[in-house]
Amino acid sequence: MTTLDAVDSTPWGLSPKLLAAVVALLTGAICLLLQPYAPWLFAFPAGWTVPATEWVGTTLEVVLNAIKPTMRLFSAAIAYPMEWANIALAGTPWPVVIGTVTAIGWHLGGWRMGLLGFVGFLFVLLSGYWEESMNTLSLVVVSVPLAMILGGLIGLLANEIPRLRAALLVALDAMQTIPTFAYLTPLLLLFGFGPVVGLVASAIYAAPPMARNVILGLERVEPEVKEAGVMSGATRFQQLFLVEIPAASRQIMVGVNQCLMAALSMVIIAAVIGGFDDIGWEVLLTMRKAQFGQAFLAGLVIVTFAIVIDRMSARLALERKRFDARISWGLFAAGVAGAILLWLTGVSAPPEGIFGGVADSVDTALGDFTAANGASLDSVKNNAMFYGLLPLRIGLDEAVLPFTWGFQWTSSMSLWLFVAAGLGGALLALTGRPVAGALLLIAVGILETGIANLPWPFVLVGAAALAWLAQGPRFALVVTALLATILISGLWERALLSLYLSGAAVAACAVVGGALGLLAAISPMAWRVLRPICDMLQTIPLFVFLIPVLMFFQIGEFSAFLAICAYAIVPMIRYTQAGIVSTPPELLEAATASGASQTQTLLDVRLPYATPVILLGLNQTILYAFAMLVIAALIGTTGLGQSIYLALGQADVGLGVSAGAAMAILAFIADRLVQGFAEERRKALGLA
Amino acid sequence: MTDRPAISVENLWQVFGANAASAYDEASGGPPEEIAAKLKAQGLIPAVRGVTFDVAPGELFVVMGLSGSGKSTLIRGISRLVEPTAGRVEIEGEDVLAATPKRMIELRRSKIGMVFQHFGLFPHMSVIDNVAFPLKVGRMSRKERHDKVRPIIETVGLAGREDAYPRELSGGQKQRVGIARSLAGDCSVWFLDEPFSALDPLIRRQLQDEFLEIRKRLNTTIVFITHDIAEALKLADRIAIMRDGQVVQIGTPTEIVLNPVDDYVREFARDVARGRHAKVGSIMQGGTEGIGPDDPGLSPDMTLEDALASCMKLYEPVPVRDASGTLLGAVHPKDLAKALQVEQG
Ligand SMILES: Nc1ncnc2c1ncn2[C@@H]1O[C@H](COP(=O)(O)OP(=O)(O)O)[C@@H](O)[C@H]1O
Ligand SMILES: [Mg+2]
Repeated sequence: MTTLDAVDSTPWGLSPKLLAAVVALLTGAICLLLQPYAPWLFAFPAGWTVPATEWVGTTLEVVLNAIKPTMRLFSAAIAYPMEWANIALAGTPWPVVIGTVTAIGWHLGGWRMGLLGFVGFLFVLLSGYWEESMNTLSLVVVSVPLAMILGGLIGLLANEIPRLRAALLVALDAMQTIPTFAYLTPLLLLFGFGPVVGLVASAIYAAPPMARNVILGLERVEPEVKEAGVMSGATRFQQLFLVEIPAASRQIMVGVNQCLMAALSMVIIAAVIGGFDDIGWEVLLTMRKAQFGQAFLAGLVIVTFAIVIDRMSARLALERKRFDARISWGLFAAGVAGAILLWLTGVSAPPEGIFGGVADSVDTALGDFTAANGASLDSVKNNAMFYGLLPLRIGLDEAVLPFTWGFQWTSSMSLWLFVAAGLGGALLALTGRPVAGALLLIAVGILETGIANLPWPFVLVGAAALAWLAQGPRFALVVTALLATILISGLWERALLSLYLSGAAVAACAVVGGALGLLAAISPMAWRVLRPICDMLQTIPLFVFLIPVLMFFQIGEFSAFLAICAYAIVPMIRYTQAGIVSTPPELLEAATASGASQTQTLLDVRLPYATPVILLGLNQTILYAFAMLVIAALIGTTGLGQSIYLALGQADVGLGVSAGAAMAILAFIADRLVQGFAEERRKALGLA
Repeated sequence: MTDRPAISVENLWQVFGANAASAYDEASGGPPEEIAAKLKAQGLIPAVRGVTFDVAPGELFVVMGLSGSGKSTLIRGISRLVEPTAGRVEIEGEDVLAATPKRMIELRRSKIGMVFQHFGLFPHMSVIDNVAFPLKVGRMSRKERHDKVRPIIETVGLAGREDAYPRELSGGQKQRVGIARSLAGDCSVWFLDEPFSALDPLIRRQLQDEFLEIRKRLNTTIVFITHDIAEALKLADRIAIMRDGQVVQIGTPTEIVLNPVDDYVREFARDVARGRHAKVGSIMQGGTEGIGPDDPGLSPDMTLEDALASCMKLYEPVPVRDASGTLLGAVHPKDLAKALQVEQG
């Protein structure tokens, strides 16, 4: 369609890739040459921007104020079930809660799940955060049904009215790429401070996975099953509810699982608004007070919650054995009996955390550890900053200082660097790899300038060139227009900063994650170790990643970088491993039969075959990085993420929404670019 | 029995693609080939092209053709699983294409049954719930509908497996469920779209025999689709042969085998040991002159193969009699041999 086939013929007979690289290179070079005469090529003049954030703000405020009364009504209405859930959960004696969770676990997955539920909730009890945890749980309990209804309705609508489908899918994309914090600001304006904001935000955030799985599930119901419903004389309503939805229940249960996890994640993030004494708030509070032991413990409670909820609800989507219901009731009864026993002995309140002391000692130990190893931790951080992140951000010309590298970068050094790069590029070009040569020059140029200082014409042209290669001319136009919107709305510098940090994290993830994935593919032993770690990292709500990095590296860009990497590396590992492992056996046998060595097979057969899958992993990594970037704003990043977070604090709807939109634009472009390349590779391999 | 056909299809067109209806209206007027060519030139897919046939009450009408020839689309058009682009369909005198959605639901609940190639069983329902589903959507109480379908389940040989789920059944058993479900609504018109094509040859033959048994007991009109000529010849009262969305020949199995209208049909008959299917009646002469002295006992519904075996050494016409011994006509043994050999020529 509109991939490379469409751009086969190019001027001067250059290959499309070379043409794109050369155009980008020339634009960059011209900008660099003109820098002394035209500084506006680098710093987009403030006079050329429009006060877009203010416009957005005013418009939105008008709209929001108009619907505010209705929404406040809704808020009042929804506050009731939330309060009930809260009273019910907080008021239920803890033995009953634990008994119930264990019983549900048994019902879903036998003694393993029962044990998981029991141990998990026992840990929560003993952590001393029982009340806070029940508050969080009550938010989840109310928001998940809302999200399921909302998502289910969207899914059904897309299924029933094919003409709405495309539009709804775009809306779902948007709901998921718009950064989580960006939701909160307008909601804050609508609902005022309080838990309802978190509730609504998590319902909105958790609805898309539900909707997607409903759409997918209904789509995948065998056509003959649907037709059998029709031919049995079922009305459309009967077809849907008696045939299609039950037949799609597995997929829909996958949606329920994802919906639960998203809701939990968002409920915890929403704690930054405050006003509700939940576990997320506890983490935030202790983090702010630098009580890392306590923060760590509260973080563990969240992780426990996440694991119990995830593993149990994942069971819904599997074919299940039926477990004896009598045991479920027995476990429940045991909980009730325990509660009565406690009541008779007069200790009905949840115990003070027996880990309180533990938390304190963890805290002290941590303090001692950081004090003892402060120097080495600092040197890790400084080395990464000085030799990695800073040059990438502001370029060698500004980052290389006597204070950091031991010498001052001079313009003659720049010149030599470019000469060397030019020679290297020429060498590559002469040996038949002109694209690689051009890319080398571009890379050196970016390193010299720094991502945050890149001239805007170069970014626009470069992105358009990539877009043209990935999806054809129409997409190139779209990308240019979207980036230009960010440019003239005055968010450009912040966007580049965000691009830099997420770019650095993605690059690190690609290298390290790719290597780990490769290792896991070659060695089943390594995979056995890595796999549960990956599972774990993917279950943990974003927020929790901040705690350990903060413990060791304090607030700052490096901590943010680490948190992003820890979260975003997982898909890279998973997809690389899966891609390489899934090479068809015939191909491997053919390679062996041709006398290829293990290494040759890996490099010439497995890796090329796995490329499309690995690219999809990269795509996920990029999206994960953007998602985490905003959360990481809590511990010190600059750029759009910070703006969104600040806007939340100041209830500045204009800034919050515009910066959120800019973030979503960047994520959207990155997503489509990588998908385009993955698609192209698939086609080249004859897989599509 | 009335003269009114149970199913009457007239100039049915099914065109897939954007704005198919208006494109068809513009192109219509000429012979089907021309219309189809015009539609295809616009990128549309004319899957069924001007099909016309009648099915008599109680008849077993087989539609046969290569895969992609439009058989499924035809049956879906008749049952309105897709909306035909043009034409007329009457079931027991009722204009189906003009029926309201509500009426269609009634028709499907009470009059039309359908069996699918890949069974189309509801994965989340037990055998008995699958079979009783048409009654459930018709709002019959649970007990009543279960009572009603138990004998049907027995008829298809699944007694004892009422509570099994589709995933626990073999392919043959699944299709038995499919057949039972299509019978639950007491249909008088029964559509089967390649019901046995997905099964092993042995199971297929067994189900064909059982199908014929069931059919004997019911008084339904049947449209049966297959791509297997042997199956068609074995089951059919009449066969319609489809090619490229058109019906190229309609006839009894004997007519199809003995007098194929073109090479396409002949190609189908090629692999068939035709003597096993064509009947003596098809080549019998009405007159009785010249009948020789021998009477090997031929009857009109004897196959050519059997007849030839019993007049191996005869060189004069032999009589053909019905069961009561009445003389009906004569057959010359050399015609028998010729009819068997047309193919080899
Ligand atoms: N929904 C549809 N949209 C477009 N083309 C279709 C559709 N259904 C069937 N066709 C086309 O119509 C032709 C006939 O298909 P079908 O009736 O399934 O053939 P058969 O059942 O004889 O194998 C095929 O070329 C098929 O691709
Ligand atoms: Mg078919």
